[in-house]
Amino acid sequence: MSIIEVSNLKKSYEKLDVLKGITFNVNKNDVVAVVGPSGSGKSTMLRSLVHLEEISGGSIRVSGEDLVKDGVYSKPQEIKRITSKMGMVFQHFNLFPHLTVKENLELAPRMARKEENSVIQRRSTELLEKIGLTDKATAYPANLSGGQKQRVAIARALMMGPEILLFDEPTSALDPELTGEVLQVMKKLAEDQMTMIVVTHEMGFAKEVANRAIFMDNGEIIETGHPDELFTNPKFERTRSFLIRSLK
Amino acid sequence: MSFEYFNTILMPMLEGAQMTVLLFLIAILVSIPLGFLLTLMARSSIRPVAWLAQIYIYVMRGTPLLLQLLFICFGLPMLPVIGEYLVMDRFVAACLGFILNYAAYFAEIFRGGLLAIDKGQYEAAQVLGLNKWQTMTRVILPQMFRVALPAVSNESVTLVKDTALLYAVAVPELLHYAQTAVNRDFTIMPFLFAGIIYLLITLFLTILFKWLEKRFKFQ
Ligand SMILES: Nc1ncnc2c1ncn2[C@@H]1O[C@H](COP(=O)(O)OP(=O)(O)OP(=O)(O)O)[C@@H](O)[C@H]1O
Ligand SMILES: [Mg+2]
Repeated sequence: MSIIEVSNLKKSYEKLDVLKGITFNVNKNDVVAVVGPSGSGKSTMLRSLVHLEEISGGSIRVSGEDLVKDGVYSKPQEIKRITSKMGMVFQHFNLFPHLTVKENLELAPRMARKEENSVIQRRSTELLEKIGLTDKATAYPANLSGGQKQRVAIARALMMGPEILLFDEPTSALDPELTGEVLQVMKKLAEDQMTMIVVTHEMGFAKEVANRAIFMDNGEIIETGHPDELFTNPKFERTRSFLIRSLK
Repeated sequence: MSFEYFNTILMPMLEGAQMTVLLFLIAILVSIPLGFLLTLMARSSIRPVAWLAQIYIYVMRGTPLLLQLLFICFGLPMLPVIGEYLVMDRFVAACLGFILNYAAYFAEIFRGGLLAIDKGQYEAAQVLGLNKWQTMTRVILPQMFRVALPAVSNESVTLVKDTALLYAVAVPELLHYAQTAVNRDFTIMPFLFAGIIYLLITLFLTILFKWLEKRFKFQ
């Protein structure tokens, strides 16, 4: 069952065409790795899904509902409802620096969902345990390592109970020795059947965890397939040369 | 110098200091919210509102506070027709002048505070489903005030010293009594006392703001 259907997605900034008609589906429980050179439009594509970018044409459907159809967006409250099915994890974490770890987790459920306090607390306790940061509940982000920050950011997104989680280079801002702990958490999520789209440079992770890979270049999807297939035996020259460059 | 003399000059000076502190409190308590309102207006998507706020800020920061005070106290009543309705108590007029002037400075400080906030904060809030109001009050403003705190501290110390401009519009404040005593008694002691009183006020403020900065360090 398709949870995300993107067809002919276009995005341009003035004269620059950043996305030139992108089409792909994501099924429930998929882990999709998106790879491609810098500037190929990976972030723009991901951000379009959660309406951080306004697209110029094409359609996006999320679990059967139109976020945007042939370039026409749904009503604002519909957009809000539909995008709330997705969570997003950013390269630079974007934690709220003036709130503790626990407050970071609980702000949105409290404000946007108006859920009951005991329910929220139970879930934040659970998630802190899941990411292994129970002892950091009252710490401020400034006192966490990069890896810890990103784990908190993942937990914060999970607090809203998303059907699908989007990651934009979640380990690119981390020191190499800290990427492991974040990838570990993501692997756990994949095992729990979380649907994920992950823009990443971590080919090892993509191969191990993803069941599908998408290679983007210059605003287009060049090739998509199983990571084992795409990474070891790409059909297109552009994919091959990118892989050779990124393995160096 | 006798204890008695000490008393006779210190008492009126402390009274003057009350005026100074009163002006300070009124000016800071009103100009900070007003300044914040100006910041929001200057960023408004309604163009005329933004322009109005920006011009206001430019004029208030670009002309001397003393000129503004003189204008409000002595200039406004000279306007034809409406002038007679604009005669205010000197102290009230001075408060108004300080508020209008300092609001512009605080507006600039808050604008800087807002600029310092990463756009990722807005994005994270949006993706988490917070609406504009929640994003502003729960995410942006607390960070903005934190960033602005050192500059607000600075500005409030400047305000304490600027209260001496009351002298120019003949509202009896700390400096006025000091000056009177110096002229009358041919001693510079009152000036020293005045200096010490100003220092005590600014010392108190400095400690208060240091405490606030520490309290809201988020570490
Ligand atoms: N706000 C913007 N205005 C103009 N051009 C933009 C803007 N945002 C992105 N672009 C351009 O869009 C193109 C795609 O950018 P995008 O960030 O999506 O690439 P990316 O694949 O995520 O790259 P990276 O691997 O470096 O993160 C780039 O050429 C970029 O310069
Ligand atoms: Mg990117």
